[in-house]
Amino acid sequence: MRPLSQTFSQSFSLTLLQPRSLQARLLILVVSVMAGVWLATSLLTWFDARHEIDELLDGHLAQAASLLVVQQGHESAPPSAASALHPDGRYPDAPLLHRYSPRVAYQVFRGGQLVTRSANAPHSPMIDLGEHFDSGFRTVTLDSPSGRAPGAPLVATRWRVFATRDADKGVQVYIGERSDSRSEILRAVLRSTLWPMLLSLPLLALAAWWAIYRGVAPLRRLGRQLARRQPQALHPVVISNAPAEMRPMLDALNQLFGRIRQLMEAERRFTADAAHELRTPIAAIRTQAQVALGEPDAAERRHALLATLEGCDRATRLVEQLLTLSRLEAGADTGLEAIDLHALARHVVADLAPQALDKGQELELERDQEPGAAPDAEGPATVRGNATLLAVLLRNLVDNAIRYSPVGAAVQIRLTVRDGEVTLRVEDSGPGLAAADLDRLGERFFRVLGSGQPGSGLGWSIAKRVAAVHQFSLETGRSPRLGGLMVSLRCPSVTASG
Amino acid sequence: MRILLAEDDPQLGDGLRAGLRQRGFLVDWVRDGEAAERELRSAAYAAAVLDLGLPRMDGLEVLASVRRARVTVPVLVLTARDGVPDRIRGLDSGADDYVVKPVDLDELAARLRALVRRAHGQPQEGLSVQDVTLDPAARSVQLGGEAVTLSAREFDVLHALMLNVGRVLSREQIEQHVYSWGQEVESNAIEVHIHHLRRKLGSGFIQTVRGVGYLVPRERPSR
Repeated sequence: MRPLSQTFSQSFSLTLLQPRSLQARLLILVVSVMAGVWLATSLLTWFDARHEIDELLDGHLAQAASLLVVQQGHESAPPSAASALHPDGRYPDAPLLHRYSPRVAYQVFRGGQLVTRSANAPHSPMIDLGEHFDSGFRTVTLDSPSGRAPGAPLVATRWRVFATRDADKGVQVYIGERSDSRSEILRAVLRSTLWPMLLSLPLLALAAWWAIYRGVAPLRRLGRQLARRQPQALHPVVISNAPAEMRPMLDALNQLFGRIRQLMEAERRFTADAAHELRTPIAAIRTQAQVALGEPDAAERRHALLATLEGCDRATRLVEQLLTLSRLEAGADTGLEAIDLHALARHVVADLAPQALDKGQELELERDQEPGAAPDAEGPATVRGNATLLAVLLRNLVDNAIRYSPVGAAVQIRLTVRDGEVTLRVEDSGPGLAAADLDRLGERFFRVLGSGQPGSGLGWSIAKRVAAVHQFSLETGRSPRLGGLMVSLRCPSVTASG
Repeated sequence: MRILLAEDDPQLGDGLRAGLRQRGFLVDWVRDGEAAERELRSAAYAAAVLDLGLPRMDGLEVLASVRRARVTVPVLVLTARDGVPDRIRGLDSGADDYVVKPVDLDELAARLRALVRRAHGQPQEGLSVQDVTLDPAARSVQLGGEAVTLSAREFDVLHALMLNVGRVLSREQIEQHVYSWGQEVESNAIEVHIHHLRRKLGSGFIQTVRGVGYLVPRERPSR
């Protein structure tokens, strides 16, 4: 047994990832894909915008720095009017005029002396220049005022600094820009592009839900139809405008319904036929028993009692036949093995011989000589089949011949092995059958009328069914030798060793 | 009472014939539809028991055919077809009763008697003419409340005459009612039975119409 927690987590994740409804599943998929695409777009935009902004602003820094250098180069006599020395003898601070200006700082050194700086710039060079440094960008952390007011406390801030110099004039310029201002721009750019997308995501999800809802409508209709059906209803399911993807399912479903309908119809007909067929023998038994009960004459009573017993035997035989047939129709297990049809026929004929003798009939089983075989050679006539079923088949054929041939008739069973085929013919000298009757033979419960024989007509159905199960051919016709009915069973022969 | 039995199953037919004979019917048994139709047209039967699944001609066809020929003999259909549509079709084809196999012989006999009674416009089981009453079920006859002992044949002759009260029956007609197939009819047998009946029931009960036949009048002649 799995631990409870595992089972729980598994079922939980399963329900989350594979929800019961197709609608929810599709929605989760579509929204996930949309969110994924949106996320990837955002990331790309982020990186791209950052790169572009860095390039642009670095360019501005460099341009501003070169302007400062050029300007310092022209001002030969420092300090200029604009940058007159502070009354305290210190170098002047450029005023912080623009709202954005605290974010930008610069320093100008000439001959190592700080000439001018922005108010927010430190006194020492923003970058500790190495020996070989000429010009370039650095990102450094500087202490700078946290606000615009002069007395604002200093906090550590990241700066992007560009340094350049004019070696001839000994001018060194540093110009820096707070890094967080870049992030702000980046964020603003992203905000302007990503917000609409973020806002549209729920709308898209809603639209996707609606589209999927419309898309799976045929499935929903099918579900509703199936739920509304009576459990025993077997008519085909009809969905108007069913999409192509549903066709195979619908077709398979309707084929299944059709097959079940046929099976049930066959079953129902069989039951009805069987009940109907059993009524007559039961009526005979009841009637004869009642006659016996009220009969004062001993001989008459005995006659009625014998008829009662006969009726019981007949009903038993009918029930057995019905069971055989129903087993055959249910596709009972038919284990195939190598069987000597000659031996089987001998057995069946021996069993039925007393019946033929009672009617004074001449019953014989003979084997046609194979061409080229020794006169006495009688190898087995081996076929692949089920011994029990084939015995039932042969018994029915021979029994029918005996039963429907008159007293003193001849019944012959002939076995031929030729060209890889075993043929068994049952012929009789009885009245034979009219063409119309031959056609109907084997319809369940069809009985040749006027034969004067109690029978259900099931024997033929069984024989036909057994032959079909074995894929043997079973044909009827007129016997050329005896003039009555001839039934031929043809089966492919197999070598005895096989 | 002479009954035609049309049934192709040998055991059932044999049993029905024996059982109905035990119950006082004269039974002629045919095994196929064509024979049944022919016999029904002969109009010699008080009633018929007809199986539907008959060889050569289906029972319903037989029924439809004889009804077209205006044969009014009451027909009881005895069949294994038990569906309601089958019953309806059977009755609509002209059957007077529809019984599904298996059937109790006593019930079958009672139904046949009822059919015959109704066919002759008799509302009650017992026939009563003048001071003679005849009970077909018990096969008993009373004269003025006193039981009269009759032979089987005498009973059948009296039954035929009383069923057709007020109508003249020829000797042949009475013979048809009283003898089934294979029973030898002696030339003067009916006269002998009539003679015995007159002795037991009084001479005026059965009248002779010379050259025509016999009748039981509704009222005993005043003279």
